[in-house]
Amino acid sequence: MHSGITVVLKAEQLGSVFGFPITNSLLMAWAVMALLIGFSFFFGRSLALVPGKLQAGVEWAFEGALAYMAEVLESEELARRFFPLIASVFLFIAFVNELEFFPGVGSFGLLHAGNFLPLLRAPTTDLNFTLALAMISFFTIEITGIAALGFFKYAGKYVNLSSPIGFVVGLIEFMSNLGRLISFSFRLFGNIFAGEVLVLVAGYFLPYFLPAPLMAFEMFIGLVQALVFAMLTLFFIKLAIMEPHEAH
Amino acid sequence: MQQLFSAFGIDWRLLGAQAVNFGVVLVALWYFLYRPVLRTLEKRQKVIAQGVADAAEARELLAGVDQEANTRVKNADVKAESIISAARAAAGAEKAKLLKEAEDRAAAVGRDAEMRAAEAAAHARRESERDIARLAILAAEKVMKQNHD
Repeated sequence: MHSGITVVLKAEQLGSVFGFPITNSLLMAWAVMALLIGFSFFFGRSLALVPGKLQAGVEWAFEGALAYMAEVLESEELARRFFPLIASVFLFIAFVNELEFFPGVGSFGLLHAGNFLPLLRAPTTDLNFTLALAMISFFTIEITGIAALGFFKYAGKYVNLSSPIGFVVGLIEFMSNLGRLISFSFRLFGNIFAGEVLVLVAGYFLPYFLPAPLMAFEMFIGLVQALVFAMLTLFFIKLAIMEPHEAH
Repeated sequence: MQQLFSAFGIDWRLLGAQAVNFGVVLVALWYFLYRPVLRTLEKRQKVIAQGVADAAEARELLAGVDQEANTRVKNADVKAESIISAARAAAGAEKAKLLKEAEDRAAAVGRDAEMRAAEAAAHARRESERDIARLAILAAEKVMKQNHD
């Protein structure tokens, strides 16, 4: 086992079940899922018509999010339809990013062939997770656009043969649309991974003093990134359902 | 591309697993959290809307009751006035009737008294005439007796 800073770009594999690799980011994703689902289960059963402080806070957040979504999508029905997706994207990423700096994450692990393998790793520092979420957002956006406008009208946004300029603009639109997959996944991965490396480096050079404020900052960044991912999904859904002449 | 995937540890199986994880979270949160919370919000909105509607209905009812009460009081006033004026008229008529009866009775009493006085006077006159006649007879008898002697 060597001392110093070890930065591993990909999630470490802890073992495998029937040939399926179990990584530390997958393990943490399951832990966060259990926390989220457990909280939801008990919270959902304790709802009352006269709310307590926690329920009032959750309701305030829900109502605020729904009102904002209805304003962006210009439809209450669409807002209610997409609310579960947008809220789940935000909550899942936010919980993962916040729990990343809790004690035990990254510090408990296994020794394998002289290397330390942490048991838990923030899924947002694993491109598999961010890419999976990016693909879900991407396909949701595209399918919503096709469902709202029809296949040919939606395709007309990207394939415009009316003029050479229109054709080039359509092509650029198409490329930028595909580029969302990369920007979505790498933005989240890059921000959170870089934050983790920053805290690691700060801990190496100025331990006891620098990591704590940086961790607080990175927790804030984690929330911002969750919000950015959710909001971009919402805005791209809005762009997808807009008529071609409105979208430009 | 393969090198890039390998460097970032992209594995389609893990990618699928993470997508399934998100799907599970989405379904579970929808079932356990979003749906109950949104239902509670809707239920509360309905209760509030019902309360507002009930209050408006009660206000309308109250206004109607006020109007009804005013109308009834006004009607009662009119009726009371007519009853009072009718009673006054009846009392006036009764008073006039009683007065007339009293006057008639007084006149009858007066007439009766006059008749009795006249009868008493006539009776006294008759008694006096009888006494005078008797005295005259007695005086005549006395004179005749003296002359005789």
